[in-house]
Amino acid sequence: MSGPMSAGDGFQGLELRHLSRRVGSHTLVDQLSLTVAPGEILALLGPSGCGKSSTLRLIAGLDPASSGEIQLGGRNITALPPAERQVAMVFQSYALFPHLSVERNLSLGMELRGMGRAEIQRDLNQVLALMELEGLRQRKPAELSGGQRQRVALARALIRRPALFLLDEPMSNLDAQLRDNLRAELRTLLRSTGVPVVYVTHDQHEAMGLADRIAVLREGRLQQLGTAERLYRDPANRFVARFLGSPTINLIERGTTQLGLRPEVLELTDAGSPVPHGWEALEGQLSHREWLGDRVISHVQCAEQGTLRVLSREAPTSSALQVRWRQADALRFDARSGERLPGSNTPHTD
Amino acid sequence: MARLMLLLWSLGPMLWQLYSSLRSSEALSGLGAGGWTFENYRQLLQGDPPFLTYLINSVVVGASSTALTLALAVPCAYALSRLGRRQARALTALVAAAAAFPAVLLFLALLELARDWHLANQLLALSLPYAGLCLPLAILLLQAAFADIPIELEEAALIEGMGLWQRLRWILLPLMAPAMASSALLVFLFSWNEYPIALTWLSRTELLTLAPAMARIAGSSVYTIPYGAFAAATVLGSAPLILLMLLFQRQIISGLTQGAIKG
Amino acid sequence: MRWRLWLLMAPALALLLAIFAAPLLHYLWLSTQAQSVLTGLQPQPIRAQQWLRLWNDGRFWQDTWQTLRFSAASVSLEMLLGLAVALLLNQPLRGRGLLRTISLLPWALPTTVMALGWRWIFNDPYGPISRLLAGLELPAIPFLSNPALTWMATVGADTWKTTPFVALLLLAGLQTIPADLYEAAALEGATPWKTLRRITLPLLTPYLLIALLFRLAQALGVFDLIQVLTGGGPAGSTESLALYAYLNAMRFLDFGYSATLLLGSFAILLILCGAGALIWRWSLRWQGSLR
Repeated sequence: MSGPMSAGDGFQGLELRHLSRRVGSHTLVDQLSLTVAPGEILALLGPSGCGKSSTLRLIAGLDPASSGEIQLGGRNITALPPAERQVAMVFQSYALFPHLSVERNLSLGMELRGMGRAEIQRDLNQVLALMELEGLRQRKPAELSGGQRQRVALARALIRRPALFLLDEPMSNLDAQLRDNLRAELRTLLRSTGVPVVYVTHDQHEAMGLADRIAVLREGRLQQLGTAERLYRDPANRFVARFLGSPTINLIERGTTQLGLRPEVLELTDAGSPVPHGWEALEGQLSHREWLGDRVISHVQCAEQGTLRVLSREAPTSSALQVRWRQADALRFDARSGERLPGSNTPHTD
Repeated sequence: MARLMLLLWSLGPMLWQLYSSLRSSEALSGLGAGGWTFENYRQLLQGDPPFLTYLINSVVVGASSTALTLALAVPCAYALSRLGRRQARALTALVAAAAAFPAVLLFLALLELARDWHLANQLLALSLPYAGLCLPLAILLLQAAFADIPIELEEAALIEGMGLWQRLRWILLPLMAPAMASSALLVFLFSWNEYPIALTWLSRTELLTLAPAMARIAGSSVYTIPYGAFAAATVLGSAPLILLMLLFQRQIISGLTQGAIKG
Repeated sequence: MRWRLWLLMAPALALLLAIFAAPLLHYLWLSTQAQSVLTGLQPQPIRAQQWLRLWNDGRFWQDTWQTLRFSAASVSLEMLLGLAVALLLNQPLRGRGLLRTISLLPWALPTTVMALGWRWIFNDPYGPISRLLAGLELPAIPFLSNPALTWMATVGADTWKTTPFVALLLLAGLQTIPADLYEAAALEGATPWKTLRRITLPLLTPYLLIALLFRLAQALGVFDLIQVLTGGGPAGSTESLALYAYLNAMRFLDFGYSATLLLGSFAILLILCGAGALIWRWSLRWQGSLR
């Protein structure tokens, strides 16, 4: 269902093997295993408290792992202190040194490592040009805008030429408009480094827009790992199905199973219309609709099953409606465990 | 109105000292009209030892105490701020209790300490008990300042490859500068104010710091009329501190305020 | 990694122990010894005799009463005045910063320096107060020679010096109270007195208590002011516990008894401040239950 469980030795990317972290009786990360190939961007996605930031910190070396292994470029880095892991991290708050200029923020690490002046200058100029920060060299972080600060944080990570990039919700401090614009740029930048990138976010759009593959986490455990498309069309369980997709997937009861119906597979017709073969339908009343320009979300009250959200191009014309869908488009879940049940619609891709 | 009263109340006694110090003894005792004079100051500055000696002694003790206190308090405060919450809270409570403790109660034991270790009549030795007495407040202040620095900054530095010493030197201490300045000033003020320990540790006149020197001056009969000299002593003794206060008002006030909030 | 943190704390903690804990333990031992001129300045163990002597020492109880009286009066005055000043300084006024600094000046000056000044200010007939009274043809007030009045003079001098400290502390507390609370109260038509009682004081309670406990502890140990201003007189009417202990050590050379007195003073301090801290805990719970 996901990528290879364990890469062989010599694998140049990042590999987590049964990584766990327990604090007291609380398990933050539970037997997490995954791989990230060089040049690949992996998003750790999930609600707060799901363990994504904890995992990131484990990879960075900021917290010790309780069990399991972390391999980077074939090296076992589990026991190494952060400084020796060759990892660069961009924090959610960017963690720029407030009393240093942009230039110093970038060069301090190198200076302390004993790099030559000329070399440092060269790298500085290169990165500053790349991130378009040349005019801001001497400014202090407080004098920069949110977007500029993010670029400095990225520059600081880039300049180290690390073996791995870690980013902890770096877009969350930016306004929505900026976020959308920067997403593509960030993706290009990260891919061009050629090293594995692990990215933590709680925002599905960000994950889907930025990452090559997504790992959905819940309560420390990996729910599913795969491309955005795979996770969307072929979710492993109810949690993943609900987490991805906006508006959220509709769930209706069918005895011991639940049917998952994406708003876009639902169609609206007038109440009482005949139901074609291979389709199912429910009758309901339009409770309200959201007109969003290019699409409309209709909220339809169906007795017993609650409100269904339907995505369509145009607004329904009446209020007594029938909601219908192709049986093949419905996802089936076990009502109790939430696990995905195989149905005739399970695609056989990998 | 109220502000004026506050001003008068605060400045009144000091202004009166200033006034008295400039008046001749005849004018002060109300016998005959006297003039304004600098005679009182001349007496002090040319006295034996000259008054300035006491001020210099206080500066020496103040500086050494401040240096010692900071040297001990900074690492302690850092460690305390990074320690687990439970342990830190217990220690902090003890430290806070020590901060309120009236130092005078310790004078006897400290006196014996001075005798046993031959620390008496040595200005620099005073910095030991002074640092000890100032540590609680300094630790509280600095710990609060450390806690205000987001831990992500330190983590970023850690990932950049900086060891503990490097993190302190390049990241943490520069950000702590205001808190350290406030602490330094409070320690300095304390050592100028301190009386019982200086009194018992210093007996040679030329070594006295300001506080015991003033007491000794006061000990000579004040019922003689030339009070002007005493007033001049008061003015000269107050002047450096007033200057200090005016120059560094923000740091001193913020230091006390922080101590209050976190205490 | 943990142990490295403790290593960082070690020197400071060592000094703290040496300065605070060791002396108290030493006093504990010393109070069971007789060490004075009578014993050739060598310690002779006499177990609890010093404590018995303390218990029967009229001067000790007299001084306890005087110290408590001084502390109670001084601290109460400081708290009231301090609160008033803090409230005043909390108003957004022009020159507030300078006013705040000036009001803090009394605290910055060494006690012994100003004590000399107070001696003259209170002096009768040459001091300014006496001359003012004479000028207004009012009877003179012999502050420093009348036992009934002298202690009040000491309270006055002490209040002058420490009120700004209390005021600053309370001001810090006042500034943590969000302005919207006051605005909401104003909208509901609350009088200033009501605002003070219902909003300001309850939220200020932790600061009030800190200031109170801190000042109480300090006041119980009053020494500098008394020694220089009155020397304990007239007729020992202003003598404080700390001064008595000091005299025993430095003038009577009775170290054993001095240690006993110091420990006794410390015990009184613990009892009072301990009671204060307990009241604080209780008040926090009471506040919590009000919500």
